[in-house]
Amino acid sequence: MSQQNNQPSIEAELAELDGMVAWFEGESFTLEEAMQHYEKAEALAKRIETRLAELKNEVTVLKKKFDQAE
Amino acid sequence: MEKGETPKLSVSEFVASLNQTLEYAYPIIEIEGEVASFKVNQQKFIFFDLKDEGASVGCFMTVWQLRVPVEDGMKVIVRATPKITPWGKFSLTVQSIRPSGEGSLKKSFELLKAKLEKEGLFDEARKRRLPTIPSHIGVISSTQAAGYADFIKILDNRFGGVHVDVAHVQVQGESAPDQMIRAIEHFNTMTDMPEVLVIIRGGGSADDLAAFNDERLVRAIAASRIPTLVGVGHEVDVTLADLAADVRAATPSNAAQIVVPDRQELLQRLVHQRIRVLSSVENVVEHTGRDVQDLRVRMVRSWDERVHTTTQRLSYAADKLVAYDPRRVLARGYAILTGNVKAGETITIERYNDMIEAEVRNVTAK
Repeated sequence: MSQQNNQPSIEAELAELDGMVAWFEGESFTLEEAMQHYEKAEALAKRIETRLAELKNEVTVLKKKFDQAE
Repeated sequence: MEKGETPKLSVSEFVASLNQTLEYAYPIIEIEGEVASFKVNQQKFIFFDLKDEGASVGCFMTVWQLRVPVEDGMKVIVRATPKITPWGKFSLTVQSIRPSGEGSLKKSFELLKAKLEKEGLFDEARKRRLPTIPSHIGVISSTQAAGYADFIKILDNRFGGVHVDVAHVQVQGESAPDQMIRAIEHFNTMTDMPEVLVIIRGGGSADDLAAFNDERLVRAIAASRIPTLVGVGHEVDVTLADLAADVRAATPSNAAQIVVPDRQELLQRLVHQRIRVLSSVENVVEHTGRDVQDLRVRMVRSWDERVHTTTQRLSYAADKLVAYDPRRVLARGYAILTGNVKAGETITIERYNDMIEAEVRNVTAK
């Protein structure tokens, strides 16, 4: 609902970042690829930080009345 | 009818007239009293007497209208219309009944709790997990209640980007349970259903919170397809709605703390992840450096061993060569004789320090 412009949710981005961190701690880590992975992870972390700082909640009070059965 | 004339009616007319008068005087009335002779007929109709020290009236209602457990001796408030039956019996047609006073509220609470517990409505196995970071929340509360304001304030402080749909309902009084049930049904039939339903109300007396012990509301919460979070009253207030919810919050503020994560904690998590990544890279660099150093040490050690082995072989060969040197034999006093060893021939005798030419005088076999 809040994922405007098909932007992934914060949760999805956090999960992606978790995956990136796991690469650094996993068996497939190589120093040659580390810089490229690090730059990607850092960019994602910064994007999440920005989103966390900027996001506002959107509160809508429903117009529907609940005092009478339909 | 002429003025001053005594009315003359049939029995039916009289009963109808009485009912008309009663309806005019008491279209609806609430009466408080103690329940006696409570009984259910054909699992449909309920009959009981409502009494106090001085009087007693018969009451009638349907099982469907009974929202809380009632038994003899309980003090209740009935909402009813008075009527005279065609048989001339006065009774109250009850629309709703609710316990009155702390003792009855508690008794009713315990009876319903035991009943629903037996049905498994509060089983831990039924509880579902709430989404970690919901993007769409349904809130059922009174928008005028302090508890609602606290909830929204804390929600905004903790997190953002959440779409919150609020169903404004009464959270106290007789119509509150039905309004909340309708709101639950509404959210459960939305095309874009919220990921979690939050039902909240601030603190109040036991009577104020009684709506959250309504059997039908409790069942609606338990039956909700959307996971539920209920935060009613204060920490010490436990309602049946709390027990039926997937997750119970102690207060509306606590509900906000439960339903969304704290953005500060998430930012802190990002810091930790950065530290983990850097530490991983450092570890690998340190290990790789240590590996290179190990290889270097092994290489030098291997070189040394090879040199040592070669030196030993060389030394052994040299020793052998020395052992075979004829001069060493000459040094021990031996001589090398060359030439034709026949009488009259000249031969050469080589000793360690000199060479001798000699003539052979005689050769005799040994």
